[in-house]
Amino acid sequence: MGNRGAIRLESLTRSYGRVVALDDVDLEVRAGEMITLVGPSGSGKSTILRLIAGLDRPDQGRIVVDGQDVVRVPPHRRAVAMVFQDYALYPHLTVLGNLLFGLRVRRVRRAEAERRARAAADRLGIADLLDRYPDQTSGGQRQRIALARALLREPTVYLLDEPLASLDAPLRFATRADLLALHRELGTTTIHVTHDQAEAMTLGDRVAVLDRGRVRQIGPPQQVYDEPADTFVAGFLGSPPMNLVPGGGVLGGAAGLILGVRPEDLALDTDGPIEATVEAAEALGSETILLTRCPDGTRLTVRTGPRPGVRPGEGVRLRPDPGRLHRFDAETGRRR
Amino acid sequence: MTSGRARPPLTAWAFLAPYAVAVGLLIVLPALLNLGYAFTDHTGLTRDPQFVGLANVRRMLSDGFLLDSVQASAIHLALAVPLRLLAAVGLGLLLAAPRPGGRWFRVAVYLPTVVPDVALAVIFLWVLNPLYGPLNQLLGLFGHPGFTWLSDPGTARVAVALMLVFPIGEGFLVVLAARRLLDGRLYEAAALEGCGPFGQLRRLTLPMLAPVLLLLAVRDTILTLQVNFVPAYVLTDGRPANATLYLPVYIFDQAFEFSSFAYGALITSVLMVVTAVVITALLLVVRRWRVLR
Ligand SMILES: Nc1ncnc2c1ncn2[C@@H]1O[C@H](COP(=O)(O)OP(=O)(O)O)[C@@H](O)[C@H]1O
Ligand SMILES: [Mg+2]
Repeated sequence: MGNRGAIRLESLTRSYGRVVALDDVDLEVRAGEMITLVGPSGSGKSTILRLIAGLDRPDQGRIVVDGQDVVRVPPHRRAVAMVFQDYALYPHLTVLGNLLFGLRVRRVRRAEAERRARAAADRLGIADLLDRYPDQTSGGQRQRIALARALLREPTVYLLDEPLASLDAPLRFATRADLLALHRELGTTTIHVTHDQAEAMTLGDRVAVLDRGRVRQIGPPQQVYDEPADTFVAGFLGSPPMNLVPGGGVLGGAAGLILGVRPEDLALDTDGPIEATVEAAEALGSETILLTRCPDGTRLTVRTGPRPGVRPGEGVRLRPDPGRLHRFDAETGRRR
Repeated sequence: MTSGRARPPLTAWAFLAPYAVAVGLLIVLPALLNLGYAFTDHTGLTRDPQFVGLANVRRMLSDGFLLDSVQASAIHLALAVPLRLLAAVGLGLLLAAPRPGGRWFRVAVYLPTVVPDVALAVIFLWVLNPLYGPLNQLLGLFGHPGFTWLSDPGTARVAVALMLVFPIGEGFLVVLAARRLLDGRLYEAAALEGCGPFGQLRRLTLPMLAPVLLLLAVRDTILTLQVNFVPAYVLTDGRPANATLYLPVYIFDQAFEFSSFAYGALITSVLMVVTAVVITALLLVVRRWRVLR
C-alpha cells in the first residue's frame, strides 16, 4: 500500500476550440499522497481529472502512472475511480444497484458482489439506504454512495471532483474530516479538486493552485499560504484575501514592486505608522474584519479579535508585521 | 387544507369546460351513439333505424370474414409494431449524438412522415411492383427472383408492414429528444467501470428510456390497430385472400360500402375491446419485467 499510484503529468496541454483548458501543466503526485487542486471555476481542474481518468485525451504531453505512459490506455484499464462533481449516480438503479453496477460489469459473481457492496456501504454508513433510489436520498448520502461506488473499484488512484461542493456548510465541515480519515485509512493516492480555498487549506498533503489552465504554485498548504509564489495565489488563498499595494504606498515605498500583507498581519496599534479610517466592520463572532481606507485612497482589510471597540467612521492606526510583508514584481507578479 | 384538496375551485372546472365539452360532443357522444347503432338495422342511408336486438351479434358470431379480419389485424400488429419501434428507437439513438451531417440524416428519417398516407401507398405500389419495382430489382442483384408482393397473402402482409416502417417520424423524435436529456456523466461513470457501448445500451440507455419506450409501444399499438389503415386500404384493399383485411378496413367496407352501418358499429366496439385487451396485456408484461420503477 502506498507504493502504487504515483502520477506524473508532463507538459499536458488541452484546448477546446479556442479555449485553452490546460496549458503546459506539469504535476507530480507521490504514491499514497492526497493532493488538492484548487482554482477558480474554469481553471482546468476537472479537465486534469478527466485526462487522468482517460475520459479525454490531451493534445500534447504525457500522463505517467507508475512509470507507464497511459495516454493510450482506455479508462477502465487505468485503475482509477472518479467521484463526479454531481456524483453521477444511476437514477434508475437502487443504491445497491449503483454499488453493484461496476462489479457486475466486471463479472463478479452475484453473491460475492453483493457481499462486497454491503461491506462498502457499511464502511460509509449507508447500509440502511440500499433499497432506496438516488432521488430518495439527501446530498450528503449521495456523496457517500458515490464514494462507496468508487471504493468498490479498488483503484490505485481516487479522483474526487468537488465532492463537497453541493453540501451545506456544517455537513461539509464534518465530511471534510471523514474524507481525510478515509484517505489515511486507505493510503491510496487521491487527487481532490475544489474551488474553495478553505478546503484547499485543510484537505491534502499538498495543494496545487491553478489559474486559466496553468499551475501557479505547488506545495504544502501552509507554505503556499505563507509564501505565495505570485499575486494570483496571494489573492486566491486566504479569506479575506491579502492586501496588495502596488508601489508599496502606505506599507513603505518600493518602486517596481507590489507589497502585500495579510489582514491578520495588520494590527491595531495607537503608535502604528499607518493612518486609516474604518469604513465598515464585519463582526463574525470569533473575529472582526475591518475594511479601512488610508488618506491616499489605499484600502486595507484588517482582521482583529472580537469586539475591537472601533466603529465605522473612526480613525485608527495600523502596524504591519514587518516579517510578514510579501514582495512581488510589479511586471510579472512573481514573488521577489 | 383538506377542503382545498377535496374540492378543486370552480375556476379549475371553468378552465376545463371547453375541453370537456369537446370531448363530450366529439368522442363520448358518438361512442355512445355507435354502441346504440350496433343494436339496430341502420344502413347509413335511411332515416329511422329500428331496434333489432342481438341480430347483429348473431351475424358477427358466424361471420368468417370477421375471423379473417381479426387474424389479419393480429398478425399485422405482431409484425408492424416491433418493426416500427425498432426503427424509431434504433435510428433515434444512432442519430442523437452530434456528428457531421447528422442533421441531414435526421431530416431524411423524418421526411416520410410528412408524406400523405395516400401518396405513400402510391409510391409503394411502384416500389413493390413485381416487374419494374426497385425492391425486386434490388433482390435481383443478389440473384433472387423477387416476389409477387401484393398477390400472395404472406408477402402482402410483410409489404404493408414494410411500408409502415417509414412513417415513424414522431417516435423517432421522441426517442431522440429523450436520449439527449440523459446525463453524459452517467456514461462516463459507466465507461470508467469498463462498461462498453453495448453494456451502456443495455444497462443505461434502454432502462432509463423505458417509460418513453412503453409510451411509444402503447401509442403505436393503437395507431397500428386503428389509424394506420389508409395506406393499407389504398395498397391492397384487404386482398389477397383477406390477408390485409385489417379490422378498420373491414369496418369501413361494412359501414360505408356494404350499407351495413349498424354492423360496422358493432365491430368498431369489438375493435375497442381488442385494443384494450392488447394494451392491458402489454402493461402486465411490463409490470412483470420490472422495467419501470
Ligand atoms: N468538453 C468541453 N468542450 C468545450 N469546452 C470545455 C470542455 N470541457 C471544458 N471546457 C472548457 O475548459 C475550461 C476548463 O474547464 P474545467 O476543467 O471544467 O474547469 P474547472 O473544473 O476548473 O471549473 C473552461 O473554460 C471550460 O469551458
Ligand atoms: Mg469542474
